[in-house]
Amino acid sequence: MNSQDKVPVTILTGFLGSGKTTLLNRILSEEHGKRIAVIENEYGEVGIDQALVINADEEIFEMSNGCICCTVRGDLIRVLGNLMKRRDKFDYVLVETTGLADPGPVAQTFFMDDEIREEFTLDGIVTLVDAAHIGQQLGRSDESTEQIAFADVLVLNKTDLVETESLDTLEARLREMNRMARVVRSEKADIPVETVLNLSAFDLDQVLERRPTFLEPEYPFEWTGVYALQPGRYELSLAEGPDPVMSLVARVDQGSDDADLREGAEWCVRRYAEPAVEVAPGAEVSLNAHVSLQLQTPGRKSFFLQIDAPAQVGLYAQHTAEEFDMQLLRADDGGAIPVEVERTWVAQHEHDDEVGSFAIEREGSVHPDRLNAWLGEILSERGVDIFRMKGFLSIAGEPDRFVFQGVHMLFDGQPEKPWGDSPRLNQLVFIGRNLDEAAMTKGFDACLV
Amino acid sequence: MSGLSDEGPRGVLRQGWSTTVGDYAIAGGWACKGAVLVVGDAAGGVYAFEGTSGATRWEHPGIHDGGMMAMAIHPAGDLVATSGQDGRVLIWNAEDGQVVQSIDLGGGWIENVAWSSDGQRIAVSVSRRVHVFGVEGQEVWRSDEHPSTVSTIVWSNGGDLATACYGQVAFFDGSSGAVLQKLEWQGSLVSMVLSPDGNVVACGSQDNSVHFWRRSTGEDSQMHGYPGKPSALSFDDSGTLLATSGGEDVTVWSFDGDGPEGTSPGVLAVHVKTVTALTFACRGRRLASGARDGVVVLWSLQNDGQGVPVGAALVGGEQDMPDVVSGLAWRPDDRGIAALDASGSVTFWRVSER
Repeated sequence: MNSQDKVPVTILTGFLGSGKTTLLNRILSEEHGKRIAVIENEYGEVGIDQALVINADEEIFEMSNGCICCTVRGDLIRVLGNLMKRRDKFDYVLVETTGLADPGPVAQTFFMDDEIREEFTLDGIVTLVDAAHIGQQLGRSDESTEQIAFADVLVLNKTDLVETESLDTLEARLREMNRMARVVRSEKADIPVETVLNLSAFDLDQVLERRPTFLEPEYPFEWTGVYALQPGRYELSLAEGPDPVMSLVARVDQGSDDADLREGAEWCVRRYAEPAVEVAPGAEVSLNAHVSLQLQTPGRKSFFLQIDAPAQVGLYAQHTAEEFDMQLLRADDGGAIPVEVERTWVAQHEHDDEVGSFAIEREGSVHPDRLNAWLGEILSERGVDIFRMKGFLSIAGEPDRFVFQGVHMLFDGQPEKPWGDSPRLNQLVFIGRNLDEAAMTKGFDACLV
Repeated sequence: MSGLSDEGPRGVLRQGWSTTVGDYAIAGGWACKGAVLVVGDAAGGVYAFEGTSGATRWEHPGIHDGGMMAMAIHPAGDLVATSGQDGRVLIWNAEDGQVVQSIDLGGGWIENVAWSSDGQRIAVSVSRRVHVFGVEGQEVWRSDEHPSTVSTIVWSNGGDLATACYGQVAFFDGSSGAVLQKLEWQGSLVSMVLSPDGNVVACGSQDNSVHFWRRSTGEDSQMHGYPGKPSALSFDDSGTLLATSGGEDVTVWSFDGDGPEGTSPGVLAVHVKTVTALTFACRGRRLASGARDGVVVLWSLQNDGQGVPVGAALVGGEQDMPDVVSGLAWRPDDRGIAALDASGSVTFWRVSER
């Protein structure tokens, strides 16, 4: 049996009162031509004739090894195991969880149990959010946080009860927690059925189509200035600013248009991932390397750059030039060099919520053994904190794009379509608790060939 | 096992007959001393076939609304009990297909049904409870709620009823329902067999292990290393060999001497897909295994659990695509075996001595 034959399953989560039942009734009553089997964990709320509705008590099965990643939902294994014997009766399964359900075991069931994995595929997790109340719930309950973090689609419901401005704030907060999810607003769960069914949620292509900027990366630097320089010695002068140290990469042969800047930014991210060389005031700044300017002493400080051939140089700085009144001067006569092009980047910022998400996007290909070792290490060490991950990889020597997804330490992936002439690229999204983005990014970078 | 369909059954398996039921064949068994094969399907139908020809003797398609879930043949062989998603237990006269008792539990999936070895009691499980009835359909006792849904039930030859669920195996006095023993262990127990003397209880666990206890001492052991959950288990009639599978290989533990602790099991490696059914012959050391790809293999085993394949065949008729083997049933004389599959095919082969 190939994966096309597997029955897709959508999991519907959300706190009591978030509108799950309304959405479920909506899905079941709409003419979409699908025969849907519904597994409900909250009794007696749905009574639609054409659907096969099965009630099951939530049964959480922990393994004797104590690993939370191995915890599964016994009721789902049992019910789905029986459902699969009547495949002619339905072509889609919806699982409605209780308001307080931890989505982890539900999702893990589709990875952990060999029989279920053979017959069903997790199409997506849809989490309904009561826009008026989620703000308080997020502070108080792990379940609501995890329901947000696990979602492929977040339905921000009951928007009519909340001011637009606070909706925007709420949406921004949810996006921060889960950058993978598509956010949909609704008043009475009145969203198109295709928003929640057949997501093929794990196909990142679709995610990109929907929201091409979702991977808009955060950079470890805030500002880039490009200068046209003749051979000679230059002074980088900084006033006192918000930070006692500042990271910088001076990149030689930096182009001026936006594509050049983005390319430079990607290149500099990798330099930033390397340990910085500390540079004291008056000392030399190495080109094309990650340096940390030491700014602890009072007053203006100067650092020096030596340019041997005419070149455009891009300064990728941790802070904007304005914050330190940073200037580039000719060392001999103190003449200021005008900046040719400058731009700011989306900076990495402090996360208020413990649960957050980040993406890694890198051109090139990864070395399979190094990647395996790295994945093995982060999954075994951080599997508990990684709620979900998905993405695709370009594996060196392999003609096909490798698509993967994971729940906690469980990982599942397969080769997909061939790369052909398209540029080799890797995209990974992680959602989890207290994830160390810098360390994980650095670890991934070390896998690139 | 390519080429099986071209060549037909091999080794000790000989061409018999094949037929179909209406849907996924859930369970089957031999009644009337091997004269009748009764099979139930996922559409709720119950069918009886002539053992010699495969001709339909009687049939009741769709009688369990929502699907049949379990079947048990009475030890005397004249009665068959079926249970379903309709919350009913039906007791059939295997000869003529008349329903002699109908027990309505008022809804709920009845996932297990089992006759006691003296044939006086029938036990069923619904959600977290077991109910025990007499042959006349009167309830004798029912259990309290188990900690989770009962996954499987087995009667011991001594008349105790064993139940397995997440976290425990419990033994009940078959007549009174008194709890005799609880064997606790944190794990979801998905399958269970008892040794013929009732001393060893073995369970397949969701965490890809087989856990077993010796009731007399309470000692337990765990066998790890299965690639999947061991949902197929079978004891031979002497209680020496325990065949288990949670993957492509069949692993046979021998209780000979001090085993199986500290011994290496026999590993029977021929299947290329996950083994879904395992059944020892009624007598002796012959084992039948069936897999997801529709391949059925017969094995001849030694005392130490090692063994060799002695026959193989594909389920289904000549025109059918083989599907997942969902059940295997040796005829009581061990001279024939029936296999059921997920497409609803029922295949019978004769089995020669050598």
